[in-house]
Parts: sequence; C-alpha cells; structure tokens
Amino acid sequence: MPPQEGAPNVSTDYSDLQLDALRELANIGSGTAATALASLLGREVELAVPRALALPLADAVDAVGPADATVSSVVLPIVGDIEALVLLLFPTADAETLCGLLGVEPGTEVGDSAIGEIGNILGTSYINALASMAAMSLEPKPPHVVTDMLGAIVASLLTGTVGETGTALVLDSELEVADAACSLSFLLLPTTGGVAELLGRLGVGND
Amino acid sequence: MGELAASASAEDELMSIGLGSCIGVAVVDRARGVAALAHVMLPDAAADAAAPPGKYADRAVPALVREVEALGARRVRLEAVLVGGAQMFDVGVGSALDIGARNATAVRAALAQARIPVRAEEVGGRRGRTMRLHVGPMTVTVKEAGGREVELWNGSPSTRRSPVEVMH
Repeated sequence: MPPQEGAPNVSTDYSDLQLDALRELANIGSGTAATALASLLGREVELAVPRALALPLADAVDAVGPADATVSSVVLPIVGDIEALVLLLFPTADAETLCGLLGVEPGTEVGDSAIGEIGNILGTSYINALASMAAMSLEPKPPHVVTDMLGAIVASLLTGTVGETGTALVLDSELEVADAACSLSFLLLPTTGGVAELLGRLGVGND
Repeated sequence: MGELAASASAEDELMSIGLGSCIGVAVVDRARGVAALAHVMLPDAAADAAAPPGKYADRAVPALVREVEALGARRVRLEAVLVGGAQMFDVGVGSALDIGARNATAVRAALAQARIPVRAEEVGGRRGRTMRLHVGPMTVTVKEAGGREVELWNGSPSTRRSPVEVMH
C-alpha cells in the first residue's frame, strides 16, 4: 500500500502487522489504566480504540492535536528493558473537572500533585500490563506535571525519544470519564530502540 | 513544524506555534521588507536526508538565506531573531534533557558562520512560546501559553536600534 499523507497508521518504517501488534498492546495497556481510573473515581471510564501512529516527527506532533492548545500534561519516564515516556494530556478544563472529582483545587500545588498522582497510577497500570504481556521489566520514574502549549510539550518530548531518526512512534489512547466532561489522552512514546525491542518481544521484530 | 516560510508582502505574518525545545529562527532584510522564518526542531541533520529544510539548525540557516535572497534580500543586510529552546521537562529518557540548549548552540553557530548578527532573542527557560513575525512593520512578537503577546524586536526601517536589541 503506498503511503498516504495524513492517513493514520501509515509508515514505511513499520509494517501493518507491527502497527497492529503495537495497537493491541496499547489497547490492553490503556484498558488496564482505564480500570484503575474507574476504581479511583468510582465512575465508569470509556476507552476509544487506540491509534498507533508512525509518522515523521513534525507530522506526529500535529497528529496529537492543535499545537497552540493549552493543556495539562503528566510525563512519566519509563526505564528498564525499554526506555519510553508515558504522556497524559488533559484539556485545561478537563483537568479542572478531574480535580473537582478528586476534591482538590485546580491550578494549585495540591491540584498539580493530584494530577501527577493520577498520571502515576494510570501510567504504572499501563506499564505493568505492557511488561507482563511482553515479558519485560519496566519501571516508572516520578511524574512531572506541566501546563503549556500542546505542540511545545509533544515536540520537546518526541525530539528526545526519537531524535534524528526521523520517524516517531506514538501509541495514543483516549479515555473518557462517564457523566463528567473529562477526557484525557494517554500516549506512550517509546525511544526508537525501545520500539525495536518491543516488536522483537512481541514476535514481530525486523530480524 | 520543521517548516520554513518566506515573504516580501507587508500584510503577511509568519509564525511558529508552540515552540518548546524547538527554535523559531527569523532572518530579515528590513530595508527590503523581506523576511523568512524556520521552525528548527533538532541541532544537526545527521542521516536524515529527506527531512524538510527547516527541521535542522545546520540546514535551516542556509535555506533561510536562499529564500530571502530569492525575494531580493541583500546578504550583508541580513539580521536574525531567535525564540524558543526551552527545557520544559527534566526527564532523562532519550536525549530530551538538553535539546533546547543544543538547538540554541547549533542555530547560533550556523548564523555566525553565515555572518548574520542576532539582534534579539528569547531563548531558554521552561515555557513554550509562539513566535510571530509581522512582515510589514518588521516586528517579532512572543506569546507564552495563557500569556499576552509581547513585542521582542522592532526592526521597522525607521528605527535604527530597538531597546531590546542584543549584540553578539
């Protein structure tokens, strides 16, 4: 299939089979994270079918969302058998809703810390599911909370994980809290070496 | 992102939205009313031959010069303004830690090699920025998330030297 501009899941670097395997991985990981969020909030959490995007760096940043949108983000560095970043993105209003559900004041140190803890719990659930499925040892490091422009956040992180290799891999899951205007994006950004290792462990590696 | 645009039309506005560790590099000939802007993401092109010209610092600066010269700019009159290069996260995965600073170093080196003076800059820090280059008045403005748009440089041909000018 020839690559089409703007179409999701199209890449010359990864095959359809590999992207399907990664999407399935994201599905199971984010399913576990959604369950964790649901039990934390005592509400149902809906999960959309994840996307596996393998795109040139600049296009990957655009695919995540509008560059100038102000969002709250939690970044959880992952170390171990692979290196990756877990990135949670909330529209600012949704982060405020989430703080309300947790009974903390948004925009304060306590609010940021609660958002960071949500990121920690969701990221850890996701990573644990990933680790047991791909038989890997993975460890999350403490979360960072930053509210800023979406494009600035995503580009700053992706240039670090994929650097000069050209193609960025983004596993993107959307979670929505039922009966509350609160949705969040859950992204896994593996390093280029991390993607190769992950594909190998899933039995769809390049060698 | 990774892109490059040039203009000689007074009503045009060139912009780089959401600059984090990336750097917006403006090169202008104010006497001629010609300007170009690149959104630089990484310091050097290495093996990525197919990349757009604006993506890497080492390739973006020569490309900017070509673009403004094609619109009638004179090489000796070129001046630059830089915005971006923030370090938004302290995460030690990949090489994310110092890309903003490395981008700034690479852009300054490429400009020095092309003998283009940097007239103003807002580089570093921890916040993302949006940069706008207004071709007609030849001004550069910067806005942070949730913040006001602030003028960083006024290069209108009538002003000899703007108050925020930085000499290198």
